[in-house]
Amino acid sequence: MTTTNAPLPTYQAKDYKSELKPIWCPGCGDFGVVQAIYRALAAIGRPPHEIAFVSGIGCSSRIPGYTTAYGFNSVHGRALPIAQGIKVASPELLVLVAGGDGDGFSIGGGHVAHAVRRNTDITYIVMDNQIYGLTKGQLSPTSPKGLHTVTSEYGSLEEAVNPLLYVLAYGANFVAQGTPADMAGLAEVIEAAIRFPGFSFVNVQSPCVTFGEDDQQVKNHRATMQSLAKLGHDPTDRLAAMGLAQKYGKELHTGVFYKNPDPPPTMNALIKERQQVLSEKAPPRSRIFDRFLQT
Amino acid sequence: MTDKTRSIDLANISLRDALDLAVLVEEEAKDRYEEFADQMELHHNPEAARFFRFMLAIEAKHESRLAERRRGLFGDEPRSVKREMIFDIEAPEYDEVRANMTVRQALGASLQAETKAFEFFEAAAGMVQMKDVQDIFTELREEEREHQALVRQEIARLPPEGPARDDDDEIVAL
Ligand SMILES: Cc1ncc(C[n+]2csc(CCOP(=O)(O)OP(=O)(O)O)c2C)c(N)n1
Ligand code: SF4
Repeated sequence: MTTTNAPLPTYQAKDYKSELKPIWCPGCGDFGVVQAIYRALAAIGRPPHEIAFVSGIGCSSRIPGYTTAYGFNSVHGRALPIAQGIKVASPELLVLVAGGDGDGFSIGGGHVAHAVRRNTDITYIVMDNQIYGLTKGQLSPTSPKGLHTVTSEYGSLEEAVNPLLYVLAYGANFVAQGTPADMAGLAEVIEAAIRFPGFSFVNVQSPCVTFGEDDQQVKNHRATMQSLAKLGHDPTDRLAAMGLAQKYGKELHTGVFYKNPDPPPTMNALIKERQQVLSEKAPPRSRIFDRFLQT
Repeated sequence: MTDKTRSIDLANISLRDALDLAVLVEEEAKDRYEEFADQMELHHNPEAARFFRFMLAIEAKHESRLAERRRGLFGDEPRSVKREMIFDIEAPEYDEVRANMTVRQALGASLQAETKAFEFFEAAAGMVQMKDVQDIFTELREEEREHQALVRQEIARLPPEGPARDDDDEIVAL
């Protein structure tokens, strides 16, 4: 026997690939990300019609269209509220959210904290290229300080947002990072994020070959990335995760930063619980109409 | 090495699974060349597209030859090695291409892919226990060596190049 005892997937990666051909620039990091997503979904094995994939606007936000899942390429920065609504209304669906660093941490930044604290069981994949790709190379919230772009001719004066620290600080229970320079590792963290019961966050360093910096390209990742597992990091240690997350922008750590070993109840579980409590107190259906007549 | 496969115990791989792996390696490369050719056509680079279509045809030929051999030896026995278990063994990496790449650069991407595959089969041959599997991996390694030589020959035959197209500012996505 060649393989491990893991059950073989019923669905193959190609079952999640749509007919639509990506129009990203050749070389874009997002090509690797979508491949990793196909593989992670194959490993999970849910049929495409049981998956809802929501995105905002941006090059990276085109990703739902390249899958066979139900897709909603929605409004810039608003993917998270839409995805949470979908999950609450249809708990049986597997809900994925994807978008860029601009979509997630600029215009949509306010939603991230609430998605984390609500702990709806969705997986948020950010394709972090430190630039606005679709609109042709403006500064993004994760652009490093000093970066020269069309909107910062003399160099940016602002510190970069740290997406990893941001979600950890709000109490996210699953936080990971990957890069298309390590496809196997990326597919693995996306799969682990999807399997995690609750809000999960994967920051993917997905280079923009057209407007990104030379030292942020996949080749550079290959040379500099460090696996958290190989560094001996304990992913159940939130403080250690926060310490490592502070190196964002300086070092490229891949793998799981934090995974709560005792995941708290998800929003859907709490809603169900509340519904049960309230339904026990609720008057019988036949008497509901009487209430209106009393007033 | 390990980052190229997942859930495959190369040291103890059977002949049937080794052949299936070899077929999938060619299939993965073929699909990648098709994607690259599509990308180049979309970005108005017919020369690079033509080259990638040429490579796609070669990989398709290798794939069907290996698949035939597998069928001859093992018929319709189910496959336990899946495409999801391999990662860019002979497929050129996504970041090797650019919209404005020249044919020389496209050949360079192929050479790198053939070199990667050579290294993979060489390492695999050194790892396996069974003689017949070792023979297959050694044979595949040698094929990759031949492909490298062919690509190098093609590169040498190319006329000197002018500057690459400067279309970095082309609108890529709306
Ligand atoms: C409400 C609104 N504001 C601004 C825009 C213009 N816009 C489109 S995409 C984008 C940012 C893209 O950057 P990012 O989200 O990082 O994605 P990328 O293209 O880099 O993948 C902006 C500002 C818009 N479409 N809608
Ligand atoms: S502009 Fe950048 S992010 Fe957008 S498709 Fe091109 S390389 Fe990718």
